[in-house]
Amino acid sequence: MTAITPASRFRRPSKLRRLQPGLRNLMPYLICIGGFLIAWQILSLILGVARLPGPINVIVETWDPYISQPFFDDGGTSKGLGWQILISLQRVAMGYGLAAVAGIAIGGVLGLNRFIGKGLDPVIQVLRTVPPLAWFPISLMVFQDANTSAIFVIFITAIWPIIINTAVGIREIPQDYTNVARVLRLRKGAYIRNIVIPATVPYVFTGLRISVGLAWLAIVAAEMLKADGGIGYFIWDAYNAGGDSSSSQIILAILYVGVVGLALDRLVAYMGSRVAKGGN
Amino acid sequence: MSPALLTVDDVTQVFPLDEGGHYVALKDIDLDIAEGEFISLIGHSGCGKSTLLNLMAGLTQASSGGILMNGRQITDPGPDRMVVFQNYSLLPWQTVRQNIALAVNNVMREASEAERRELVEQNIQRVGLTHAADKLPAELSGGMKQRVAIARALAIEPKLLLLDEPFGALDALTRGNLQQQLMQICQQAGVTTVMVTHDVDEALLLSDRVVCLTNGPEAGIGQILQVNLPRPRQRLEVMEHPDYYRLRSELISFLQQQRRLKQRKAAAPAAPEATPAAAPQGPQRLRVGYLPGLDIAPLAVAMERGFFSDAQLSVLPVSFHRWQQLEEKLRAGELDLAITSATAPLALNLGLDGQAAWPAITPMTVTRNGNALCLAQRFQDLNVRDIGSLAERCKGREWPLRLAIGQKGSMQELLLRHWLAGGGIHPDRDVELQVLSPMAMQAALLAGEIDGFIAGRYRVAKTVEAGLGYVLATDLDVWSGHPEKVLTCHASWADHHSDTLLRFCASMMRAAQICEDDGQHNGLVGLLSQPQWLGAGAALALERQFNLGNGEVSNERMPLNRYHGDRAHVANVAEGSWILTQFSRWGWSYFPSNRVELLSSVYRNDLCTQALEQAGFSALRPERHPFALADGRSFDQDDPLAYLRELPFAASSAVEPITLPAPAMTSPVAAR
Repeated sequence: MTAITPASRFRRPSKLRRLQPGLRNLMPYLICIGGFLIAWQILSLILGVARLPGPINVIVETWDPYISQPFFDDGGTSKGLGWQILISLQRVAMGYGLAAVAGIAIGGVLGLNRFIGKGLDPVIQVLRTVPPLAWFPISLMVFQDANTSAIFVIFITAIWPIIINTAVGIREIPQDYTNVARVLRLRKGAYIRNIVIPATVPYVFTGLRISVGLAWLAIVAAEMLKADGGIGYFIWDAYNAGGDSSSSQIILAILYVGVVGLALDRLVAYMGSRVAKGGN
Repeated sequence: MSPALLTVDDVTQVFPLDEGGHYVALKDIDLDIAEGEFISLIGHSGCGKSTLLNLMAGLTQASSGGILMNGRQITDPGPDRMVVFQNYSLLPWQTVRQNIALAVNNVMREASEAERRELVEQNIQRVGLTHAADKLPAELSGGMKQRVAIARALAIEPKLLLLDEPFGALDALTRGNLQQQLMQICQQAGVTTVMVTHDVDEALLLSDRVVCLTNGPEAGIGQILQVNLPRPRQRLEVMEHPDYYRLRSELISFLQQQRRLKQRKAAAPAAPEATPAAAPQGPQRLRVGYLPGLDIAPLAVAMERGFFSDAQLSVLPVSFHRWQQLEEKLRAGELDLAITSATAPLALNLGLDGQAAWPAITPMTVTRNGNALCLAQRFQDLNVRDIGSLAERCKGREWPLRLAIGQKGSMQELLLRHWLAGGGIHPDRDVELQVLSPMAMQAALLAGEIDGFIAGRYRVAKTVEAGLGYVLATDLDVWSGHPEKVLTCHASWADHHSDTLLRFCASMMRAAQICEDDGQHNGLVGLLSQPQWLGAGAALALERQFNLGNGEVSNERMPLNRYHGDRAHVANVAEGSWILTQFSRWGWSYFPSNRVELLSSVYRNDLCTQALEQAGFSALRPERHPFALADGRSFDQDDPLAYLRELPFAASSAVEPITLPAPAMTSPVAAR
C-alpha cells in the first residue's frame, strides 16, 4: 500500500479553497441569475421588445433619469424613484409603527387574559383574512383622505400577525419558566420583566416580520388605487402614461419594490435576533 | 426519629382525562420526612414520582389528603421548597449570575444589596462556576446547567430541596461527579432533600431512605428501604460496603417485580365488567364455601338479614367438614368464593404441600382473633400453667407432645408454631402436629390420642365446658388482632366479577358490623343457633365471658372474635409478609425475592376499600409502621428478612424468586 501522508492528501483542495473562496460562493448565484436574465432576454425577443422589454432594454431605457438620478425632483409627482420609495416608506413607517405598538399591546392583553383572548379569537380570525385592499374603500369613506387611508390600510393589514403572535407567545411561555416564577413567588412586575417579555420577544418578532412584508404589499396596492406619489403611484402612472419606456419603468420599479421589501424583512429579522438574547 | 419536617398525609391525586373519566395517579400516599433527611423516590416511569414531587412543591394540589410542612398545609409553591427541575429551567436570556440573582433578589428581600451579591457569588463558587458566571445557559454544558440550577436552589436557603431526576440527561461521568458534589453540598447545608430518580445506584449513594413507588394508576408506596451506609459516603467505598449489594438487589428486585406486574396487566385483557350477554338478569348466583365456626357469623347474618338479596346476589353457602375438601372444590371452580384461613391465599399461590400453584386473591379479612390453645386436663394437674412450664415438661418426655391443628399451613398452625418456638419448643422436633377436623378434636382429646389442640373459641369452649381441657394460650399470647379468616377467590374470577365481588364484600362488612354490635347480641345468638348454621351450641360459644378453664378465678377471658372496626377488614400486605416469613421459617417454601409482586397481586386492599365505601364505612388504610407481636419482636414489612433471621428455629432465610401462577382462567367457573 502506498503511504499517503495526511498533509499531501489535504493540501491541494485546501489551497484551491483559499485561492478562490469568494468566487466559489458566488458561482451558484452568478449561474442561476445569469440563466434567468438570458431566459428573460430570449422571451423578450420572441414576444417583441414593445410588449416585454428584456433586461438590457430596461437598463438602457431607464438609465436616465431613473437609475442615474434617483433623487431628481421636477415638482408635482414627477420625482426620482428614491423619493417615491421614501414616500411609500414613510407611509409604511407610520402605519406599521402604529400596528406594532397597538398589536403588541392588544396581543399582550389577549395573551395574559384567557377570557378576553378566547372571546376575541373568532373576531381576529375573521378579520385577519380580509385582503388589504378590501379595507381601502371603507377607510376612504371614514377618513376622506387618500394618504390617511393608505396609512390605515397598512395599519389594519399589519396588525393581525402581531396580535396573534404576541398572544401565542405569552400563552406558550414554557411551563418551566412559570414554575420557576411560582416557586420563587416572583411579583407581577418582576414576572413580566424577567419572564414574559424575554420569552415572548421571539414570537413578537416573528409577527413583526410577517407584518412588514404584508405592509409593503399593501402600500404598493393602495398607492396604485389612489395616492399622490409613492412607488405604487409611480407604477400606475407609468402604465397610464403609455410611453415607449413605460414597460421598462414598471419593471425597474417592481425590482426596487422587491429589493426594498427584502431589505425591510431582513432589517426586522436582524433587530429580532439582536433583541432576543439567548434565544429559546 | 426527629419530628417530621414534611408530612404527606393520605394523598390521592386524580387527573381528569380529556376524553372524560379520570386517571388516579397516586393513591393514599403517607410519608414522613425528617429534618435533614435525604429521600429518594424511585419507580418506573409514569408511576407518579414527579407528581408527588410537584405536590410537595405546591405546584399542584392533591385531590384529597394534604401535605404538611412544619405542621402547616402546603397550598402554593414557595421558596422554602425550592425545586430543581428536570430540564434545569434556567432562564435562557439571563446569564448564570443573573439567573441566581433573580432568585436571591426576590427571596432574600431583607438582606442588603451587598449581602445578596455576596450570596450569589458564594453559590456560584460553591458549584465551581466562577469562570462561567457571565455566560448564558446556551453556552454551558448540561452538567454545568444543572450545577447552576442547584446553585440557584441552594442560594435561597430552602428548608426542603426538591430534585426532579436531576442527573437524568447527563453522561455517566458528569453524573458521577455531580452526585458526589450534590451529596457534599447537601450535607454541608444540612438541607432536607427529596430526589426523584430511576437510577438505583444514585438512590443508594445519596439517600437515607429510598421510597419505592408502585406502578400507576393508583400508585402507592410499595416499599421503603432504609440505607444505613455510613456517611460521608464515597462512591467506591459505598460499593464495597457489605450491605450495598443487598440493598441494591432489593431495589432492583422491586423494580423488576413492578415491571412484571405492568406486563401482566398489559397482557391481561380488560375485564369485561358484567357484559349484558354474560350477566343474566336477576340476582347473581354465588357459591361460598366455609367451615362452621364463629368465623362465619358475618356470612350467616348477611344471609338471614337479606343483605345479599338487597345487593342482587343469590348466595348459596356450602358447608364443609374438612379444609382440604373446601380447597379442592375451590380449585375445581365449584366454589366462587371461600372463607379460608388467612394463610390460604398465599399458600395457594405458592403451591405449598406439592399442590399446583393457584392464583388466589383476597379482597378482605373476615375475622381476626378467636383462637385458643387447649391442653388436656392432665397437664393442668401437672402444673403446666404457661409456655415455660410446658417447655420444661417437654424436655423430660420421651415422646413428643401431640397437638392437633385443623389444617396444615393454616393461620392457627403458624400461631401455634410461633408461640411454641418463642418458648424454646421446636414445633417439628419436640412436638408432633396432627391434622384433625376441628369437629374431631374433642373426641381425640378424650381418647388420649392428642395432648391438646389449637382451634377456634367455639371448639375450645365446648371442650373446656366438658371438663376435658383448659386454655393455655390465646391470641393475646401470640398476636392480638391477627387475621384469622379471609375471603379467597380466583384472581381472574375476581377480575371478571369485580362488581359482584364488591357487592358481596360490602354485604359481609355490613353484617360484620352487626356481629360486633353488643346491642344485637341476642339476635345474633338466636340466628347462629339455627341448625343450618352452628346449631344450639352456638349460644354457648357466643357467650361473651369465656373462662379459660384453668381454675383460677381471674380476669383472664378468651378474647373475642373481631369482625369489624379498627381496620378489621383490611387485606393487609404487611400481615401477608409476616405469613411469608413463617412459610420460610418452617422450611415450607423459599422466601420469595419478589414478595412485593406476590403480595400486591394477592392482597387486593383496593377491593376492600371500594367495598367499605360501598357499604358506607370509612375506609381506613393499614398503617405502614412496623408492628409488634406478643413476643415483643417488631415486624417491619419493609425488611422481613431481618425479622426472619432473628427468629428462633428459622430453617432458612434463603431468598428465591417465585413464578406467580398465571391469572388466566383455568377452571370452568365461567362456564357454569
